[in-house]
Amino acid sequence: MDRRRFLAQTALAAIAAPLAARAGEPFRLGLTPVFLDNDAAVIDRLRFALSGALGEPVELIQRRTYQEITASILDGSVDAAWICGYPYLQHRDALALLGVPVWRGRPLYQSYLIARADDPAAGLADLRGGLHAFSDPDSNSGYLVTASDLARMNETPESFFARTIFTYGHRNVVRAVAGGLTRSGSVDGYVWETLAQVEPTLTARTRVVARSEWLGFPPFAARADRMAEPGMRAFARALRGLDADPAGREALALLHLDRIAPADPSLFDGIAARMAALQGR
Amino acid sequence: MRADPRSWPITVRVGAAAAGLMILLGLAASQQVLATLGRLQDARLQEIARLHVEGLAVALGPFVLHKDVWEVYDTLDRARGAGRIRFTVVADDEGRVLAATDPLRAPVGSALARFAEGASPLGSVSADGAEEVVRIAAPLEYQGRRVGRIVTELDVSDLAAERRRATLALLAGNGAATALLVLAGYLAVARLLRPVELLARHMGEAGDAPRPIPERMIPRSDNVLARLLRNFNAMTGAIEARAQAERRLAERERFVSLGRLSSSLAHEINNPLGGLLNAADTIRAYADRPEVVRQSAELLDRGLRHLRDVSRAMLDEHRLDRAGRPLSRADFEDLRVLFSPEARRRAQRLEWRVEGDERDLAAFPSAPVRQIALNLLLNAAAAAPQGGVVELSAEADGAALTLRIGDDGPGLSDAARARLMSEAPLEPGGGVGLRLVRELTRGLGGAIDCARMDGRTVIEIRLPARAEA
Repeated sequence: MDRRRFLAQTALAAIAAPLAARAGEPFRLGLTPVFLDNDAAVIDRLRFALSGALGEPVELIQRRTYQEITASILDGSVDAAWICGYPYLQHRDALALLGVPVWRGRPLYQSYLIARADDPAAGLADLRGGLHAFSDPDSNSGYLVTASDLARMNETPESFFARTIFTYGHRNVVRAVAGGLTRSGSVDGYVWETLAQVEPTLTARTRVVARSEWLGFPPFAARADRMAEPGMRAFARALRGLDADPAGREALALLHLDRIAPADPSLFDGIAARMAALQGR
Repeated sequence: MRADPRSWPITVRVGAAAAGLMILLGLAASQQVLATLGRLQDARLQEIARLHVEGLAVALGPFVLHKDVWEVYDTLDRARGAGRIRFTVVADDEGRVLAATDPLRAPVGSALARFAEGASPLGSVSADGAEEVVRIAAPLEYQGRRVGRIVTELDVSDLAAERRRATLALLAGNGAATALLVLAGYLAVARLLRPVELLARHMGEAGDAPRPIPERMIPRSDNVLARLLRNFNAMTGAIEARAQAERRLAERERFVSLGRLSSSLAHEINNPLGGLLNAADTIRAYADRPEVVRQSAELLDRGLRHLRDVSRAMLDEHRLDRAGRPLSRADFEDLRVLFSPEARRRAQRLEWRVEGDERDLAAFPSAPVRQIALNLLLNAAAAAPQGGVVELSAEADGAALTLRIGDDGPGLSDAARARLMSEAPLEPGGGVGLRLVRELTRGLGGAIDCARMDGRTVIEIRLPARAEA
């Protein structure tokens, strides 16, 4: 953190202090670099918009894996987090939904199976014996979809591919495939489409081999037992009201999202079905 | 300029030698600079390579230890843009590729060995040579143990370009400096050697006689050269004195040849005198007999005319103002008048033949030709035995005059031949007549040939006609 940002945060904290439920302690939102990879501007805009909407400072805490972030929610070291539908379902007893992003009009996205642009593969079956890049073992689009597809083929990633690697970032999956490190990769369709707009030279070196069915978009979640706290309710309102003010709309535009909508657990039934397929193998 | 350097002027030769040395010096200096540049570049490259590999080792160590393909790739990929790294491949401790900056070239799991071929260890990396890329292999150590291996290719095209630029700059700079030094050296040498050039000019380059160097042209600064030039001046004086002495000797020689003839010429005068006195007595005794008086007067007239001819020939031989008078048949008649008594005295037969019209003869100067012929005739008469033969033939044809004087004597002695045919110093006691013949002939641009045929010694003098004639 540089000095300017520290000063800005301190100033913001001082202004927001009277309104804060827990004066002096900022609201901590956990993130993974899974799709917000090294984009400091986006993170800064999001933090600024959320702080403005909440009326108190919001601290964005990044962890490398979904596992770390999920653990942070459960142990209370973050107040809420933007996670994936898969870990949400893994801990659905302990977690509750704060909202789900709406992308291109729907709170849904797809998982893409990608290969190098010049790869002739027509589907997953053609990628046998190659190197494959997953993003995170707790990612729906970056692992579960392909793993469950393989399970339906009575295969495991280890048996089907020569070698698999985890890159802990959807953009990294695209980089691994584009650079030729792996033959194929499992990637978040929303990230791939967004990269196709902001970094077209990177995605141009890859090709979408297969798309999954539409699944619930990665939601914002918090511990279920803290949902009644006023701070948490205020944060949920702030999230869902981001599109109401210019700073929020600017942050959403940078994320290529429409807004944050209220979420129903049934949104993730598709993912639950894939989890069942993987477990029932 | 002539091809043979030995024929170049001394200033050019010394200038060229100085230039050669300067060029050698320039080359040696350039070589030194380039070698130093090469060492500096190698040191720089080794430092860069060491930092690169060490930096990668620090960053990659844990990932290589855990064989984390993605993190190794990610680290390499992010480091790729930096500096001169063209390609890097990292392998685990079994020599299998973990990741490379270009995975298509070095796929995950392939063998590192083919990339390590021809790679230098860190300490001996050199940018020497024309290659634009150097390949380095180094072990990857982490926590004190070897966990893998790294092969990296560094772009050294800028170093090669720098070396090329330095070479060109050195060539241009040294070339210009050498050219300047050569010019300066040439001017300095030319200035230093100016007295020598002066000396060479005055020594008679064009084949003429050495001329003394005017005192004002003798440098004051250099004692040795000034002394040399003054010595040269003294030498030219001695040469001139010798030439004058030779001219005086030649003058005297004319009297010497007459002196050699004096006895026979005295007889030539004395012999008719008795007849002339008898004629005078006869006139006195027979004054009343007109036919006897007339006969005696005729006799007197003939005798006196002969005496007049002899004395005129002798006077002609003495005259000093003959220079420049053209040759004529009369000159050969004079010679005959002067020489015949000597031949008669020795009862020698004289064969005399002169061919060519007066116009052709006029192309040659009278005095030296007469002197040459008289000297050779006297020499022939002395060589021929009592009652022998002496011959003279002269042929003028417009282009040349060929004089042949022969005798049936025993031939020229070695000493006489040396006097006539060479520049050998004169032996004391010997005559100078033949040497005078040689010098007169050379003075007229002629050639001397001496042959012996049919028992006769024949000396042939061939003189080219004078241009203005």
